[in-house]
Amino acid sequence: MTAVTERRSEASGGDARRVGPKRRSRTSASAPWILLGPFLALFLLTFILPIIVAIGSSFVRVTRQGVFGEEGVTTEFAWFANYAQALENGNFIASIGRMLLFGVVQVTVMIALCTVLALLLESASVKWPGFFRAVYFLPYGIPGVIATILWSFLYVPGLSPIIDIAGAMGIELDFLGAGTVLWSIANIVTWTYTGYNMMIIVAQLKAIPTEVYEAAKVDGAGPLRVALSIQLPLIRPALILTTVFSIIGTLQLFAEPQVLQTVSPAIDNEYTPNLSAYTTAFAYNDYNVAAAQAVLIALVAFALSFIFLRLTSRRAS
Amino acid sequence: MSPMTRRQLLSWAAAGGATALLAGCSTPGTVSPNAGTTIAPAASGEKITLTYWAWLKDLQKVADIWNADHPNVQVEAVWIPGGNDGGYQKMYSALAAGGGPDLAQVEMRTLPEFLLVNGLIDLRRYGADEYAPRYNETLWNQVSYVDGVYGIPQDSGPMALYYRQDLLDQVGARPPATWDEWYQVAGAVRDADMYLECFALDDASWFAAMATQAGASWFQIDGDRWTVNMADEATLETARFFDRAIDEGLMTTSYGQFSPAWFAAAANDKIVSLAGASWGDALLQGVSGAEGKWRVAPLPRWGDAGYGSTFQGGSTAAVLANSKHPREALEFAVWMTTSEAGINAMIENSGIGWSPDDAYIGAARQEPSEFFGGQNYNEEIFVPAAKEQNNEWQWWPLTQQTFNILADGFRTKASGGSLVDAVVQGQRDVIAAFRNKGLRIEGAA
Repeated sequence: MTAVTERRSEASGGDARRVGPKRRSRTSASAPWILLGPFLALFLLTFILPIIVAIGSSFVRVTRQGVFGEEGVTTEFAWFANYAQALENGNFIASIGRMLLFGVVQVTVMIALCTVLALLLESASVKWPGFFRAVYFLPYGIPGVIATILWSFLYVPGLSPIIDIAGAMGIELDFLGAGTVLWSIANIVTWTYTGYNMMIIVAQLKAIPTEVYEAAKVDGAGPLRVALSIQLPLIRPALILTTVFSIIGTLQLFAEPQVLQTVSPAIDNEYTPNLSAYTTAFAYNDYNVAAAQAVLIALVAFALSFIFLRLTSRRAS
Repeated sequence: MSPMTRRQLLSWAAAGGATALLAGCSTPGTVSPNAGTTIAPAASGEKITLTYWAWLKDLQKVADIWNADHPNVQVEAVWIPGGNDGGYQKMYSALAAGGGPDLAQVEMRTLPEFLLVNGLIDLRRYGADEYAPRYNETLWNQVSYVDGVYGIPQDSGPMALYYRQDLLDQVGARPPATWDEWYQVAGAVRDADMYLECFALDDASWFAAMATQAGASWFQIDGDRWTVNMADEATLETARFFDRAIDEGLMTTSYGQFSPAWFAAAANDKIVSLAGASWGDALLQGVSGAEGKWRVAPLPRWGDAGYGSTFQGGSTAAVLANSKHPREALEFAVWMTTSEAGINAMIENSGIGWSPDDAYIGAARQEPSEFFGGQNYNEEIFVPAAKEQNNEWQWWPLTQQTFNILADGFRTKASGGSLVDAVVQGQRDVIAAFRNKGLRIEGAA
């Protein structure tokens, strides 16, 4: 902190010699605000304020008396009643549980896969690394909704060549049943995001100084040894970053199940936490309980990320 | 010091702004648009424009016919996504923000949900009663709640049995006249490695239509409260019947009607019939190679009880709460749904469902159909079906939630649950959901 302030006063001191004491403090103080202004205004309006409003409305309850509320509508501060109602909703709790299961499997598989891909692309013997990097990254450029529609053609019985071929060999495949559709979604998500996470890891791999590799070579380390003892430890920050992003992304899963719903009767309207909040708000018109759900989702995402960061930093020290 | 005070100032301003905004953002939909005085019609000579949000195709072409005759009341059609696929969400947000169109397409079953958020104008206050005799009685009942009329019926879907003549011939069966016969035919069809019908575990509306046909009436308004009876004898009989059909493997539950998998199965001659609404005729034409193969028969009956048919789907043109011209909006809606020009234009351009006007079904529907092998199925089957309806059925404010609750129960069939349990348990959950909203409701004993 002190180092920063010192450097700053030095800089403005240099300024002072040119423009005089009074002018100096005003320009140096207002310049960052002017530059930050447009960002801050939008940030407050589209990010901070909605969060405040959502938290506020999660504590409010509207009740309508009579048959259609014709005997009066009461709006009152309800403390945690909306949270209680959200937590009493078995479907909402089940959706969080479902996403935890999904996350444990899908995030693990995806991070392992993208790490392997990144290491392969950065190994010495690779051919056309640029081409393969682009190919692996390509699915990320396809919006989730489109990706899901594309995949659904491979999932729907009667349309899917995979099911036809498996059926010809006597294997009954059902990608959209109650027990399998979650993993069909996991497949789409993995397909979309593996390349993206791979790019983050590749960027970090490229930042490893060549001297380290040379030293390893001199010590007689093979490619596997280099990967395990040098590359993996040095890309730790990138792995942690991608894992935290993936955990948060998992809890916010929305587009894929919503689109797949049209072809899979097993996906209900509260299949994921976000789908549940969406249904509560816009199909049941209960904005207040939906706000409580949204706050709960944020808290769970926050807690999970925090636990993961704590676990990894403890192991590091 | 100067940066500190500036920051303080900014944070105070932000906090002040946030408080002001919060105060402005009270929960929407808490004020009734039907108190106070009515809005007078526009003065003669004043030119107004009505907007109509609907998910009907080419609706503007219909509006243009009206516009040509009514230079002072121009109607602008705006396409929105269908119902729960985003259309209602858009309307709710517009209402919450104090705006929205004059007219909006709202399904029959969704009207009470809009009533609950004070989203609809009572058209009785603008003279809707004088038009009531033009409309199908059952449909008019479904837009009337307590003392008001909250939408103009726009289309409906009387149900019948679409069937494949050639496939039934293969198993030596005729279209079943009762559900008992249907059960026999379903068994025969299944033996030939086909399905007579599918049962969508994720959509309770088809089941509700069947229960309605059997004579169910789940919700009633009893003075100042709702009474709910989702487990009445008619519903339980329906539930038991389809429980048995599913358990014995006579119906497939892996897809719903008109889903991509259904179309694939129908094209491969694996689906023999479809208990569906009149608007299903257009969808059937999407089955590849179906030309000339399908026919239409009346819906099977529940023995001596129940009704000849039932409605599935159906929408209204409702006047939303923030309309400035309810009287003109009502007149346009009535023209669109009861004039010959309006009905025909709606069929030609928008492929609208069944006409809500019993007296005129539309010129295109009076002709025999080539697709259905020359059968004049509209006159023959659907005209009587539209009249043989359960008049007791009423929709309620939590329809979507109720259907979702039922579908959650239906899905447990895969793991040993039953439709009977789903309706019994569903009623308890629905009562809880009503009470959470503060509404008064009692379960029928």
